[in-house]
Amino acid sequence: MSDVTLYHWEPNANSGKPMLALMEKGVDFNSHYVDLLNFDQHKPDYLAINPEGTIPAMTHGDRVLTESTAMMEYVDAAFPGPKLMPDDPKDQWRIRWWMKFMDQWLAPSFSMIGWSVFIGPMVRSKDPDMLKAAIDRIPLPERRVAWRKAIYGTFGEEEMKESQRRVAFGIRMLEEELSKREWLASDQYSLADVNGFNIAYALPLSQPELSNDEKTPHILEWLRKIYERPAAKKTWAMGKTDLATRIKILERS
Amino acid sequence: MALVLYHGEPNGPSLTVLAALFETGHDAELRNIDLTMGERHQDNVPSGVEVHMSIEGEGPVLVADGEPMADSVFIACYLNDSASISPIAPQDPFARWQMMTWCRQIIERVAPAAAYLGVKAHLADKLSALDDAAFEKLIAPIKSEDLKTRWADIRAGAFDDAKVDDSKAKIKAAVDKVETQLSDGRDWLLGDFSIADLETYAWLAGMRDLEPGAFDGASRTAGWLDRVKARPSVSRALSLARTATPQDIWAPGPEINRWG
Ligand SMILES: N[C@@H](CCC(=O)N[C@@H](CS)C(=O)NCC(=O)O)C(=O)O
Repeated sequence: MSDVTLYHWEPNANSGKPMLALMEKGVDFNSHYVDLLNFDQHKPDYLAINPEGTIPAMTHGDRVLTESTAMMEYVDAAFPGPKLMPDDPKDQWRIRWWMKFMDQWLAPSFSMIGWSVFIGPMVRSKDPDMLKAAIDRIPLPERRVAWRKAIYGTFGEEEMKESQRRVAFGIRMLEEELSKREWLASDQYSLADVNGFNIAYALPLSQPELSNDEKTPHILEWLRKIYERPAAKKTWAMGKTDLATRIKILERS
Repeated sequence: MALVLYHGEPNGPSLTVLAALFETGHDAELRNIDLTMGERHQDNVPSGVEVHMSIEGEGPVLVADGEPMADSVFIACYLNDSASISPIAPQDPFARWQMMTWCRQIIERVAPAAAYLGVKAHLADKLSALDDAAFEKLIAPIKSEDLKTRWADIRAGAFDDAKVDDSKAKIKAAVDKVETQLSDGRDWLLGDFSIADLETYAWLAGMRDLEPGAFDGASRTAGWLDRVKARPSVSRALSLARTATPQDIWAPGPEINRWG
């Protein structure tokens, strides 16, 4: 039995980042599935691990780690296996810059759209009293607001428009970056690619107008190359919902 | 390694990077620019996508061997990791995770709050005193639409009460967190002095005058602020100020979290 346990949801966004990083390193870990759509992340058992009630979290012996991006850096540094950070400090800077840009600028816009079209509709049909109680239990006020908007369908027109603008702009930025070099932020496959793949793997399905073989050939090639890695295959096989099966769009025809 | 640092007054991200530079002992050419007048966007400052789209907003730019770099915590990591020893960041993976996570929470929660309160108090009037043509000229070269909008909102005095209140609460929460962290009598936030001390100090120092209530009774935090300020690297950074109160100089910072 491994002394590493990952508390995660689907191989997607923040959960998928440490899942794929652990797989790439070949670290054996216990998988603890936290059902986000069932609000498992706000229940006492999980709050004992991460009081903020967000996923993922990881334990390594008696250490508890949160924050998926910093967690990936830990995974890379603490375990043997292929290096997911190049040695050059300037490459490391660029990788961290891109991860932060994705975590704090691009991914939130993808999330807002994803929560309004996917997460909201999936849970909306549940018992209204149960949903209200579930929202009241959420520890972080910001997350409470997001859940409320998703469940009651009250994302504002302005904020959705701004998210669409950012997604379109971010896709152009990624395409430009990937036309300069093979990988996102350095000449070798790194944590920036692991991070980016987790927000972008379904792009040709979710944003077919903006991301396709004509408009963003470099993004598509990059996604397919990562999809073909054994670690990605193993990671996405751990998915339990249709969210994860979207990855099949990356199959070469 | 040839380094040129374009920095603003020693406050916020410019303070972090200046002090990190002095802690790590690299030689760099220093060029003082006025971030509050958008000088970072002028042609004489090298830029690239990482400068244009920096989450940090108007921070310093370090040009290292020709590559313009932005985002103070990661620049500080770069300065540390390319020094012969590791003076301001731990090598141990778990201690490094603690530092990165601490800094991430400062960047995500404290920096936007401090910048919001700071520009409201110290930049809004200065910008509204500019005539339309001068302001248009200032923001015209800004490539990030959302950063440009933040500039325009500040000039228009468009501050949202809910965001002001939330920002004040975030500063209070940050002080509480620092106070708790120091409760075992340690000198520095994570044990050894690190980038976490610099980054936290850089965003909080200017809040003492603006939000004095947040610091009420926080005696350990007061002692820690004094200790950071007394570090040779920080006092050297502060000595570069062109104004009497650099802690009052604020340019548009990171945006307030719009998602959650
Ligand atoms: N900064 C954190 C964010 C974690 C986070 O917000 N995760 C989302 C899932 S991608 C979550 O837990 N949402 C569930 C909720 O808000 O209830 C990280 O990178 O780990």
